[in-house]
Amino acid sequence: MNLEKVIFGFFVVLALTLNFGFFLGEFDNPEHHNEFELFAVIVVNLIATALKFGDRSQIGAVLFATSLVADLELLAAAGFWTFAVHITGTGLTPEVMSSIMSLAGGALLANVISTVILVSETLFNRL
Amino acid sequence: MAAVVDLSRITFIVMREMRSPLIALLLVYSFSILGMVFIPGIKVEGETQYMSIFHAFYFMTYTATTTGFGEYPLVFSNAQRFWAIICLYASVVTWFYAVGSIVRLLQNPFFVRALSEWKFSRHVQRIQAPFVIICGFGDTGSVLTRGLSDYGMRAVIIDSDEERIKALQLRNYTVAMQGFCGDASVPKHLLEGGLRRTNCKAVIATTNSEEVNLKISALARLLNPKVGIISMSKVEVFEETLATLGGEVHVVDPFKTFAKVLAASMQNPGFYSFNNWLVRDRGASLERYITPPKGKWVICGYGRMGHEVNWVLNKYKIKTVVIDPHEPNKNDYVDKYIVGRTTAITLARAGIEDAAGILSGTNDDGHNLGILLNARYFNTKLFTIVRQNRHENEVAFRETKVDMIMQPTLVAARKILFILIAPLLKSFFRYLLDDKPGRKEEMEMVINRLREKVGDQVPHLVTIDFTRDKSKAVIDELDAGEVILLGDLTKDPRDRQRKLDLVVFVIKSGEMEIVLPPTNYEIQENDQLLFCGTSLAHRLFNATINSEYKLFYVQKGVYKPRSHLAKWVVKKMNKVGV
Repeated sequence: MNLEKVIFGFFVVLALTLNFGFFLGEFDNPEHHNEFELFAVIVVNLIATALKFGDRSQIGAVLFATSLVADLELLAAAGFWTFAVHITGTGLTPEVMSSIMSLAGGALLANVISTVILVSETLFNRL
Repeated sequence: MAAVVDLSRITFIVMREMRSPLIALLLVYSFSILGMVFIPGIKVEGETQYMSIFHAFYFMTYTATTTGFGEYPLVFSNAQRFWAIICLYASVVTWFYAVGSIVRLLQNPFFVRALSEWKFSRHVQRIQAPFVIICGFGDTGSVLTRGLSDYGMRAVIIDSDEERIKALQLRNYTVAMQGFCGDASVPKHLLEGGLRRTNCKAVIATTNSEEVNLKISALARLLNPKVGIISMSKVEVFEETLATLGGEVHVVDPFKTFAKVLAASMQNPGFYSFNNWLVRDRGASLERYITPPKGKWVICGYGRMGHEVNWVLNKYKIKTVVIDPHEPNKNDYVDKYIVGRTTAITLARAGIEDAAGILSGTNDDGHNLGILLNARYFNTKLFTIVRQNRHENEVAFRETKVDMIMQPTLVAARKILFILIAPLLKSFFRYLLDDKPGRKEEMEMVINRLREKVGDQVPHLVTIDFTRDKSKAVIDELDAGEVILLGDLTKDPRDRQRKLDLVVFVIKSGEMEIVLPPTNYEIQENDQLLFCGTSLAHRLFNATINSEYKLFYVQKGVYKPRSHLAKWVVKKMNKVGV
């Protein structure tokens, strides 16, 4: 058993499931999407990215890239949230909410890809 | 290096052939356009309209090509219509003339040749991977090409028979095999085949003609002193000349190769099966040994094969009876020589009833099969060796269920394939067949291990070069001063408790060759290793020597930390890996 892979796998799957949980619900209804869940997704995702720093294998590089994409989109979603609530004061209108959820949906897809790569790498290694 | 075939030559041919049609077209066009411009058109508001040069050219363009858009930009006057008729007939006829010239040029055999030569040499120039030049795509050439394709090695094929080259293009090889129809003994064609390129590893002469093979070999040596030369030869006089060409020259004589195998299998019971299993002969198995008996032998047909087999049998002091239509040569040691064609009568005279073995070795397949049936009528327990001259008779020979089939083209092709992909195999066999105590037991051990590891699966003979581009991880570790043991590399990178399904035959380190190296052998840079294993074992071995993480695991049993964080933690905890 490779302990490093266990830890990385744990964070990647946690990021995916949290992301999915946040994404669930009516698309543009702010009451269905919790800001703390978004916070948790971002933290877990960033940890997953940090765990891939320094991996020189091919698959490691691809996993690093996909989790970077997820980070970027989630941070953009959080930034947009903050901007709408605190700076412009528009509040969480359906338009604002759907933009945030689009970004979160994109991140979800990136996390799915990470998980698929992770699982297939494990399968190939065990052939 | 510049292209061998000059592109300018083809351009020149096209230009020269197209000169007169082009001039004719130019003249007709300009004459028609000028006419259209100067001929008065209809009157508009009392003023005569003339065509502009642009409009006239436009009109001619669609008229000469028989498109015919009509009268443009205005309705034509009758004078213009009259001129248009002349233009139309003149230009259409000229166009046909021009098109005809192009078609004639394309059909010109010399032009087709020049074009195909140019295309061929352009394709060869683009080959980046190592490749070999095969001259002659007969039975031997095609079996060899198929073998090379299995091992992913590229080949450039030159044959003078157009049909064979066309057949080549229809085959499904794993890598592109470039074919060219031409005489391989013409230096220009060898150069077009990439003889002087640095990634050209060898020139292989397998044409039907001994003279041509010799000429190709000599030309190859002159044009590229470094290239490897492999030439098929069945005549000793030529073999002597070939051996003195200098540099790396291999002469492949199928009869001599067979004689060696026969001699080895007389001495070592497992060798024939082992050798046939390695060359992936159909029906070969490690479970069933084939050993020629040491009683009286009848040799039918005393040609090249008969001589070689007689020589081997003499070595083991076995009595031989020869049946051949030609008069005997006094120098050979033969127990009894019967002059005549092999028939039931001559076979009976040769004492076929109490013979142990028979060689049916004439150069006629029908005759060989006939001899076999005759002999079996007299003696059903005979050990049989038959020579199969033509590949197309394969099915019939398989049906005879003889003990050994000797197909010269196949023997030669396999031998050449081994020289190319497993050069160390020769030293391995030389070691095993050496007449020293313990060698028979060692061969038995190798066969047992192969049986256990590979068994019924297809054996893969693999040569591994420990160089930077072929085994990066190993060289990186060696550079870092680490010691890499052969025993670690042969562990399964998925679970190091298990061993990969392979048997290491030889390691070549510098000038030293270590046969059946021990597991604690330390790998050096530029070592060359030969092993036989399953296809999966080959893939996994390659994965280990190219991935630092897998190499670390098979060596140390723990996983190499991948990320910076994991590296830091491992260092803090004073551990080797996770």
